[in-house]
Amino acid sequence: MKYVKHIMIGIKRLTVLGKIGLGVVLMVLFLAVFSDWLALHPYSIPSGDALEAPGAGHWLGTDDLGIDIWAQICFGARISILVGFGTALLAGIGGSIIGIFSGYSGGLTDKLVMRLTDLVIVLPDLPMMIVLGAFFGPSVRNIIIVLALFSWTIPTRIVRSKVLSVKQEKYVEAAMSYGAGFWHLTLRHFLPNILPLVMVSVIRLTSRAIVAEASLAFLGLGDPISKSWGLILNHAINFKGIYFTDYWKWWVVSPITAIMLLVTAIAFISRDMERIINTKA
Amino acid sequence: MEHSIIRVENLSVCYHSEKRRTRAVNKVSFNLDRGSSLGIIGESGSGKTSIALAMMGLLKKVATVDGQVYYEDKELNSLAEKERNLYRWGKIAIVFQNSLDVLNPVLTVHEQILECLLRHTVLTGPAADEKVVQLLELVGLKAGWNMHYPHQLSGGMRQRVLLAMALSCDPEILIVDEPTTALDAMAKDEIVRLLVKLHREKKFALLVISHEMQIISRLASRVMVMYGGHIVEEGLTKDVLKNPLHTYTRGLIQSSPAINPYRDLWGIPGEAEQNNPEGCPFYDRCNQKILECQAKLPLLEYISLERRVACNRGGITTLLTGRELHKSFVFKGKTIKACDNCDLTIRSGEVVVLIGESGSGKTTLASILAGVSTPDEGEVLFEGEKIKGNSATSRKNGLQIVFQDPFTATNEHLSIAQVVKEPLDILKLGTKDEKLNNVRQALQDVQLPSDDEFINKKCHCLSGGQRQRVALARSLVMEPKLLIADEISSMLDPSTQANVLRLLKGLQNTRGFAMLFITHDLALARKIADRVYVMYNGKIIEHGSAVEVFDSPKESYTNKLVDNLL
Repeated sequence: MKYVKHIMIGIKRLTVLGKIGLGVVLMVLFLAVFSDWLALHPYSIPSGDALEAPGAGHWLGTDDLGIDIWAQICFGARISILVGFGTALLAGIGGSIIGIFSGYSGGLTDKLVMRLTDLVIVLPDLPMMIVLGAFFGPSVRNIIIVLALFSWTIPTRIVRSKVLSVKQEKYVEAAMSYGAGFWHLTLRHFLPNILPLVMVSVIRLTSRAIVAEASLAFLGLGDPISKSWGLILNHAINFKGIYFTDYWKWWVVSPITAIMLLVTAIAFISRDMERIINTKA
Repeated sequence: MEHSIIRVENLSVCYHSEKRRTRAVNKVSFNLDRGSSLGIIGESGSGKTSIALAMMGLLKKVATVDGQVYYEDKELNSLAEKERNLYRWGKIAIVFQNSLDVLNPVLTVHEQILECLLRHTVLTGPAADEKVVQLLELVGLKAGWNMHYPHQLSGGMRQRVLLAMALSCDPEILIVDEPTTALDAMAKDEIVRLLVKLHREKKFALLVISHEMQIISRLASRVMVMYGGHIVEEGLTKDVLKNPLHTYTRGLIQSSPAINPYRDLWGIPGEAEQNNPEGCPFYDRCNQKILECQAKLPLLEYISLERRVACNRGGITTLLTGRELHKSFVFKGKTIKACDNCDLTIRSGEVVVLIGESGSGKTTLASILAGVSTPDEGEVLFEGEKIKGNSATSRKNGLQIVFQDPFTATNEHLSIAQVVKEPLDILKLGTKDEKLNNVRQALQDVQLPSDDEFINKKCHCLSGGQRQRVALARSLVMEPKLLIADEISSMLDPSTQANVLRLLKGLQNTRGFAMLFITHDLALARKIADRVYVMYNGKIIEHGSAVEVFDSPKESYTNKLVDNLL
């Protein structure tokens, strides 16, 4: 009950946009989880005529193979959510650990880690991701790993600088004078301080990862059997002469709308979170 | 020895009532030279008066007196009562503690003194009468008073009458027992001056018994400190006052407002109750006791010329020594000497104040002493062991530091219980329940609530003063022997500051830990300091006892500081 109350208070502090954002994210989550029931048609086999316009049977119409687009959006939400949050959590947690370690040890370790992050930041991610995506082969797991490899630097740098400043606090000095080690300091003193920051950066990474996954898929480097939103777009764009017809109105617009809605919603939430964290609890 | 007029050896006095025997004096030895002066000081019940009475041979009926009292070479205790009477009053006279019933209420002053003369001297008739008038003149009492009765006299006058009686037979030894108790300041001063004058003129040996340090310091050149029937320290009065070497003596001096004009008064905690005849009599109240003290009675031993102390640890021990500490920082090619050849010692149970303006290197010195930062040169010893890193801070009964800013000293994300418990958690001391009890005790000690609701509050709910006290509680759970307090009150408002400081000083007094108090506030320093170090531009420019530094600063900088204060 206590946690429910906390969450309710947290939600109350969001702005209207934030609340809308939260609503949209929850809705997409709902879509992803219950897609089996929400989609009336299968997402991989034709269920009607090719290129049907949106109507009663197919809410968002069908593609060139007669596959229901609503079903594809529903199942695609799974991939987007999985890739988005998977990458963000992996990069967020991994990056934070590296950041804490780097900030705590200082000296040569810190220098090495920081130069490594510089290196990763300087590398142009999309071409690199394309190369790596092609190299590792397209599967959702590989995509998550590749995306995480390019996003850990953001939480690492944030966390490291926070750890450096917390390390100057007298309570850490006091704890160290009692003989506190790395684990004690991390669990007791660093984590409570960096958790809010990590949360914000995880949320940001989520939207970044969703866009990146869609881009990869759009370029044809996604998992070809996964039916993500990017892949729907990829198919639609590859349909010759799509802009000469009316088909783009549902085939192209619906996945783009889905991606934009989700990413914008997450952006709203992250903006609100930042505000809440910066105005002290 | 050949000059000694009286020699007391192994004098013990044991009072016996029906139920129990009380040992009032325990194997006390001392001697008194012709014309010299000796003071005996101690709390009430320490056996001072018993010594005097035993020397006079007045305790035969109520107590067992062992040991010898030699007058020149004559042993007095073995003499028969009749022979003894020749010495009593004739050679050794006593001025009793002033009270109404010491004098016979139905005799006039004249008759009282006359009685002494008739009994102890050869004077009779008019010669004796004349002597009475002379004596009264000698003690500064006008002749008109001699026909009055004791109850018609004031306390100061009665004291003079008693003195006149004691001097009636021109004794060679005068024992003065609490000459000034219950007298007002003026009368006190007159009596003391009178005693000094008489001592100079009559050249008798003076034995002053008092619990007032300032009386002893004016009357006696040597002093013995008594506690529980034992002599715990002996030496020249000046030295003992300036540099007491027994924890009890120090406590006595600190309780004396005349010697500590600035500081708040703090008595010695605890009651004088001797429960273990084998151990050190001061064991229960001592702040530097070790296991050995419980079982071993310390002997009075010379630790320097003219100075004897009865302590198993050889007097007040040195807790922390900083030797030739250097530390410099380099900023933009400029070298700043934050600590330049700093020497500092802190003895157990004392409050040392380090004064200096901001930027004088106080905090750097403190962090070196605590082992938080390492000096470029020099070493810090804690109880004789060199401090390396957190070797002194990461253990119980070690050294603890409390920081200036309460807001960074405690993690605002943690609950109060977590903060206070942290050192115990890190060092894995005790079970969960024991830890919690320690935490509650520490919080009670710093006068914060210790109920569940409070200790589960987060630190950011607390005010600065409360958080400073939480930080203090965290140090106290480690039961430190030395607490370094770095400007702990500078960020608090005056009322909170006063509360925190009184609390800290009270804890220091009852727990007996030593404290290094770092401040730029001279007025504050004067309130609590036993000893003072003055720091300027990274150097310790002056140090000494609080009175020395504040009353007669040697350095011009200290002078300026003190002048600004007034």
